[in-house]
Amino acid sequence: MRSLNPLAAAVIACLAFSASAQQPIVLQWQTANLTESQYEPVWKATIAEFEKENPGVRIEPVLVARKDHWTKFVAAAQAKKAPCIVTVDLTTAAYNGYLMPLDKYWNAEPAEFRRAWSEAMLSASKWKGQLYGLPIWGGTYAEIYNRDLVTKAGLDPAKPPKSWNDYMVWAKKLSGSDHWATAVLGGKTDTTTRILLMWIWSNGGEAFNADMTEATFAKNPKSLEAIKFYLGLVKDGVAAPAPTTTNYLEQTNLFAQQKIATMRNAYWALAKVSGDNPAMKGRMFVAPGPANVPNAPTLTSVAASSISASCPYPEQAWKFIKFDAGKKWTVERAKVANWMPTRNDMADDPAIKSDPLLAQFVQIGNNARSYPLPSPIWAEIAANDIVDAVQKALLAPEKTEEIFTDLDARLTKKLKDV
Amino acid sequence: MFLFLCAVVLFPLAHAFWTSLLRVRGLSSRFVGAENYQHVLTDDAFWHSLGVSLTFTVACVVLHIGIGLAMALLIDELRFARTALRIAFLTPWMVAPAVGATIWLWLLEPQFGVVNYLLQAAGIVSGPIAWLGTPALAFASVAAVDVWRGVPFVMLLMLAGLATIPREQYEAAAIDGAGGWQRFRYVTLPNLRYLLIVASTLDIINTIRHYDIIGVMTAGGPAGATEVLPVLLYNTAFRGNRFGEAAAIGVLLLLIVLAFSIFHIRLTRPDRGAR
Amino acid sequence: MRGRRVQWLRWLVTLVALVVVVFPFYWMLNTSFKPASEIFLSPPTFASANWSLDAYATVLTRRPVGRYFLNSLAVALGTTALSVTLAAFAAYGFTRFFPRGAMPFIVLLLFTKMLPETLLIIPYFRLMSDLGLLNTYAALVLAYSSFALPFSVWMLIGFFRSIPRDIDEAAMIDGATYLQAFWRVILPLARPGLVAVALFTFLIAWNSYVWALVLTTDSSMYVLSVGIANMVGEYRVQWNELMAAAVIAALPVMILYSLLERHLVNAITAGAVKG
Repeated sequence: MRSLNPLAAAVIACLAFSASAQQPIVLQWQTANLTESQYEPVWKATIAEFEKENPGVRIEPVLVARKDHWTKFVAAAQAKKAPCIVTVDLTTAAYNGYLMPLDKYWNAEPAEFRRAWSEAMLSASKWKGQLYGLPIWGGTYAEIYNRDLVTKAGLDPAKPPKSWNDYMVWAKKLSGSDHWATAVLGGKTDTTTRILLMWIWSNGGEAFNADMTEATFAKNPKSLEAIKFYLGLVKDGVAAPAPTTTNYLEQTNLFAQQKIATMRNAYWALAKVSGDNPAMKGRMFVAPGPANVPNAPTLTSVAASSISASCPYPEQAWKFIKFDAGKKWTVERAKVANWMPTRNDMADDPAIKSDPLLAQFVQIGNNARSYPLPSPIWAEIAANDIVDAVQKALLAPEKTEEIFTDLDARLTKKLKDV
Repeated sequence: MFLFLCAVVLFPLAHAFWTSLLRVRGLSSRFVGAENYQHVLTDDAFWHSLGVSLTFTVACVVLHIGIGLAMALLIDELRFARTALRIAFLTPWMVAPAVGATIWLWLLEPQFGVVNYLLQAAGIVSGPIAWLGTPALAFASVAAVDVWRGVPFVMLLMLAGLATIPREQYEAAAIDGAGGWQRFRYVTLPNLRYLLIVASTLDIINTIRHYDIIGVMTAGGPAGATEVLPVLLYNTAFRGNRFGEAAAIGVLLLLIVLAFSIFHIRLTRPDRGAR
Repeated sequence: MRGRRVQWLRWLVTLVALVVVVFPFYWMLNTSFKPASEIFLSPPTFASANWSLDAYATVLTRRPVGRYFLNSLAVALGTTALSVTLAAFAAYGFTRFFPRGAMPFIVLLLFTKMLPETLLIIPYFRLMSDLGLLNTYAALVLAYSSFALPFSVWMLIGFFRSIPRDIDEAAMIDGATYLQAFWRVILPLARPGLVAVALFTFLIAWNSYVWALVLTTDSSMYVLSVGIANMVGEYRVQWNELMAAAVIAALPVMILYSLLERHLVNAITAGAVKG
């Protein structure tokens, strides 16, 4: 135990004995965001205010590096000692029995509370018909452009490319000997998969069938066409070299240092780039990604707060989740950390309206599919199998069809095995 | 107290072995006997990973020992700033592996990394090289970083060993007309034999289970070129959530390492009984 | 003179090797002194007019690095104490009472090292949680000790073997029990070996990450390696602060090693070489 002065310990023991006050209920809260430095003042304020309104309940934050967040959660969940309030890959966690269904608490809420979340948004937090989390924040992806580089290339920032052909025209003009139009993500994280999916959808293709039992990367000709086009940007010389080691970090670095003129990224990337290079602040504009079919959806990554299966105080945990999902904190999150609201009643909020880029993202997000895709093995598929295929295709472009046919077979087998 | 030691050793082994016989899905598990092993052994990914692991381990250990010994011989003779030199050469070992790997990740970054910058400034290469971008180069890069990490320990052991070799043996060899190389072969090496065995055995075991460097730098990419068994195991356990299979891989890895070590020790200590 | 030329050559090669080995650490320092906006400049800057200690100040005031440091220290010292004690007893026992059991025991201890850490995380967590030891120094000390033991025992066995039994017997003729003989006579003789084992164990405990990650949830119990890893946010990373923390983490080990380096070499010399 932490070393306590014996006298202090004795005094505390006496007090605890004599006082008939209840022991405070301690709820642990684990989300990878707690280690984001810009979010720190917000979550501290959230906890402080909640504890003031709810004496007798203490929220204990569990800080963990993002890359190890799942590992730590699983280790604790396996021993049935996971933190009460968590934000994790919902489908996978629910499938493995780590989360508690929330329908009981959800249905007990007044209708006006429940109206704030659309059916589409909620479906991202459901597994086998039961609700396992309350969507808290999201990130919509769009094409972010560097205004200065665009004008320098003789292009019009008010008319961003709408189709693939337009995009290629722009891309060629934005590339030179040591700078490129964009970057293809091929690094070993699931962001690679996110961007790939968006390109597939922008061609009217699909990566999976409706109930996620079959993969159609190569089977669907439109998907394959999209894959070839997107990965081919490197060969065409309009995307930065070394795509197999390009993740979100490298991509935003390249953009911040003006080595690439555009990137497919989420709203939070704006803050990252401004932080890396203050000169970029205000010099970016946003547009939906180019598409070959009308109304092609973009992607919104949704994070939800859930209650772990072993939590001994679910009512209090739900109270905190509701509190955290309230308008005030949603606005704070959007302002300091650029995490977008998942509530649909925020469009008229002055804080949101006053930030034109955010408003644009919200608008683009009205036509978006939620991510992660609802499969319990999504974490593995997205970060391992699909990425491996992308990397192989980047290294041997002539074999793209073969590689993705192979991927289809492997994924279908895994999906059927669930 | 011996019981404590035994418990500490046997518990994780027993648990790993038991888990490898189960199909684990979250909190529930089902006994499936050897099915996990069958699954793993028929999976291409496992054999590929094994190949990468073996190549990586052999290459790195050979380089660790070779360069470590060479470095020890090199700085043994230097009198000036002896302690400072030794500490300096020990630095890679003192920095946490993940931190070291992150720094090398930067240094090797294609657009902003110092290595490419220096190479281009010196005119050795014309464009940025993607050190971790292609399979062969990525493998070489992570191996190089692992060598950077692993040489100090070997060097330290060798330095200590060299310090014990009695001068007379060298002098006797010189009198017999032995040249530099022969002195090395007939005086230095035999004296260092036991140390070399200790160093290499530990090194094999450490390298074959090492996760940090590859995990941080390439996560097994590109296209599985650096996916050594610990990486495969981690991905199976915590990305795939298939703990039973991961345990099976772990047990197989243990058997491989055991076999490797026994073979290695037998090979290098035929006269152990003589001591 | 040929001797001079060889000496110069030695120095040259040593210097080149030194640069390669120490460069990452220099880069760590460089980055920790830079302001955030300069870190990813292309071309990179080797020394900057804007060098300052700001990152260090921020890291020490805004983050509980001091607390992390103390935790690391407590855990590392605890591990060292426990490990050295156990290893000493084990080595003593095996050299004096069960000489033939030494090798198999060492192999058994090596088994734990052969299993990748990934597999052990979950069973250890469950064990510590059941014992109520989560968020305690004890949990980490136990975990690290089990990893440091194999090498320690191996080294100390070599060392104790080189101390002749006559000394034990002489002490016991004077009326001491085995334990007293061990404590008063053998241990002081074995001191360099103990120092070496202590340094080695300290390093393992100081730099280890995975265990502290999993076995502690209360941030006031975090160790340095966890504190540093937590600075890597996805959406924004303060690299200069991160490197400052990493430098702070590396310093104690360096200081410790430079102070005790002589013992280390002596110890390995006497203990391991003679087998």
